[in-house]
Amino acid sequence: MPVSTKPPNRVIPVLALAAFACTWLLDLGVVQPNRIVSGTGYGLYAATGWFGAVVVSSLLAVVIVLATKLTPKRFGALILLLTTALMAQPLLLEVFALRKLPEDSAYARIGLGAGFWCLAFFLALMLLETLGRFKASRRLQFSVVLLVVVSWWFCASREGLSSLSLIREYANRADQFSQALTTHLSLSLGAVAISAVLAFGLALAMVRRERLRRPLLGLVSFMQTIPSLALFGLLIAPLGALSAAYPFLQTLGIRGIGWAPAMLALIAYSLLPMVRNTYVALMEVPEPVVDAGRGMGMNERQIFFKVKLPLALPVIIEGVRITTIQAIGLTAVAALIGAGGFGTFIFQGLGQAAMDLVLLGALPTVFLALAADAILSALKFQRAPR
Amino acid sequence: MIELKGVTRRFGDAVAVDNIDLTIETGEVCVLVGSSGCGKSTTLRMINRLLPRTSGEILVDGEDINNADPEALRLNMGYAIQSTGLFPHWTVARNIGVVPDLLKWPARKRDERVSELLTLLGLDPAADAIKYPHQLSGGQAQRVGVARALAGDPNILLMDEPFGALDAITRENLQQEMLRIQRQLNKTTVFVTHDIDEALKLATRIAVMDQGRIIQHDTPEAILRRPASAFVENLIGKGDRGLKLLGLRTVGDVMARHALPSQPEPLAEVLKETDSLRIALSIMVWQNSGELPVFSEAGEAVGTVTREQLLQGGA
Ligand SMILES: Nc1ncnc2c1ncn2[C@@H]1O[C@H](COP(=O)(O)OP(=O)(O)O)[C@@H](O)[C@H]1O
Ligand SMILES: [Mg+2]
Repeated sequence: MPVSTKPPNRVIPVLALAAFACTWLLDLGVVQPNRIVSGTGYGLYAATGWFGAVVVSSLLAVVIVLATKLTPKRFGALILLLTTALMAQPLLLEVFALRKLPEDSAYARIGLGAGFWCLAFFLALMLLETLGRFKASRRLQFSVVLLVVVSWWFCASREGLSSLSLIREYANRADQFSQALTTHLSLSLGAVAISAVLAFGLALAMVRRERLRRPLLGLVSFMQTIPSLALFGLLIAPLGALSAAYPFLQTLGIRGIGWAPAMLALIAYSLLPMVRNTYVALMEVPEPVVDAGRGMGMNERQIFFKVKLPLALPVIIEGVRITTIQAIGLTAVAALIGAGGFGTFIFQGLGQAAMDLVLLGALPTVFLALAADAILSALKFQRAPR
Repeated sequence: MIELKGVTRRFGDAVAVDNIDLTIETGEVCVLVGSSGCGKSTTLRMINRLLPRTSGEILVDGEDINNADPEALRLNMGYAIQSTGLFPHWTVARNIGVVPDLLKWPARKRDERVSELLTLLGLDPAADAIKYPHQLSGGQAQRVGVARALAGDPNILLMDEPFGALDAITRENLQQEMLRIQRQLNKTTVFVTHDIDEALKLATRIAVMDQGRIIQHDTPEAILRRPASAFVENLIGKGDRGLKLLGLRTVGDVMARHALPSQPEPLAEVLKETDSLRIALSIMVWQNSGELPVFSEAGEAVGTVTREQLLQGGA
């Protein structure tokens, strides 16, 4: 492998040093007497004692040594080491909880400190850098991510972390959480699915009729420029009036606030990236290829399904990917008009100044967006002509 | 047989093809030659109805092509173009098999046909079949384009500057292949080019086009000897038309043949009986000799040719 002849890697040692500095200078965790009060911070040494401090520091030292001269063998070792470190990181919190959580207080809980986030962030960056340098296969990348996610999931469900503030917030709202997950997914994915169908039709119409191109693109671009909160607000009045005039709509749940205006706004926002990508993808199929297909004796249907669509598909999927990520994010905002979803926790948490409740809404939203990104990227990669 | 009778094609007010009459006999190679924009591609594309004609009649084997279903018509006409138009998301094998698939041939028959064509065009039926178009060189891609055009065993072959984008050596090779394949298959072919040398080499008859009209339609020899106008004279080039004439005939036509072929020691540069008189003359000048031995493809000495025979044969 040509990797071994490359100059020494500077990125990983620098990241490791940054991680080292963060763990020693910032608080790893916080002990809070209850969910609102901000509590006392503890650094790595104070939180986990000599043992934790030595483990973390020597791990980072080994990473630096390995990264100074990267042979293929060391790449493997580095990936293994970093993955294990990330997987095991929640254990630091368990040790912290064991040592510092007051036994006598029922409301006391531990919170995540900046040091913990930074350590996770830099470990992840180093892992990404190593996987990138290693030109790791998609399967390896996927396995690494899956291992880390499963491990964190497993740690979170252990007794040792039950005093973690985030988990307390979850435990208090387990039902609401799964309700929010369902609502969030059905709103965002439903909007993407509906707008995908609409966008496909619109793009086809634009391909067939040149005259429709400018007005349609103009319309969907215009909808994109309205601020999301304003669009949600704008839809409240007409939908409210509609459901007041036709009571049967109310039985369907269509009211001025709730899922109906959220869905409409999400669809409106999803149309531009989807229409534009589908249209461009279909128009950019090379003319000689279509000409050859027709000259070979394909009919228009065969040309569309056998040539144009497969060639356009990677770009269309790219549009779906952008739209899905965007819709997952916007659905969080739609909580403001009572649509439900993870945004509910974020705005409740902001109102109560309970940051861990905000995290309970924000983290799954980010996770959903990343998961959608990964899945659709993989799909696009797989569909692209090799 | 393809007949064009008074065929005209307009784009708006511009006349791309102007009332042309052209008959292409079964099994002949008709080359449309002329400078860029003179209406060659338009003429070709009216034959497989990729473009509708404005007026006139186009008959294939006596039937007006407008009476046929356009897809069925095209399935019986191989089509190869300069930019190859290979489907980038399909392997070479699937590209070549597209017409057999459209014709709903059984998979085995199609696969056999694909292998056969890859071999015919000098490609590797195992290694090249599984490649994607972007993995091919320009010459290989064009070979695949020609193989794809031949795959459905069509009666008619339409080729629009298929070798126009290739370098001189690759083009020369593919022209040789075309001649060889045409000798085997005898397809009625309409071949478009702007290169008069390519036309002279491949054509049974040449149609010289200018501004949408056919200026002259005749055999390569007749075009060289009796150009119909100053335009044609210019196109073939006054300076070396004698040499071009020598290029039309092979050594085998004029040489003195031995009673019995013999197997001599191999020589570095040998004259083959399939080489043109032009090549023979070139070798004579180079070696400063008045007489050359002639060899068969198999490497046997089959005769001799003299400078006098050459010049008489060319005259
Ligand atoms: N689709 C088209 N629309 C308008 N004009 C065209 C079109 N196709 C060809 N033409 C015109 O018709 C003439 C002949 O074109 P073409 O047959 O492509 O020439 P050639 O193949 O000999 O280079 C040119 O002047 C060209 O500009
Ligand atoms: Mg042309």
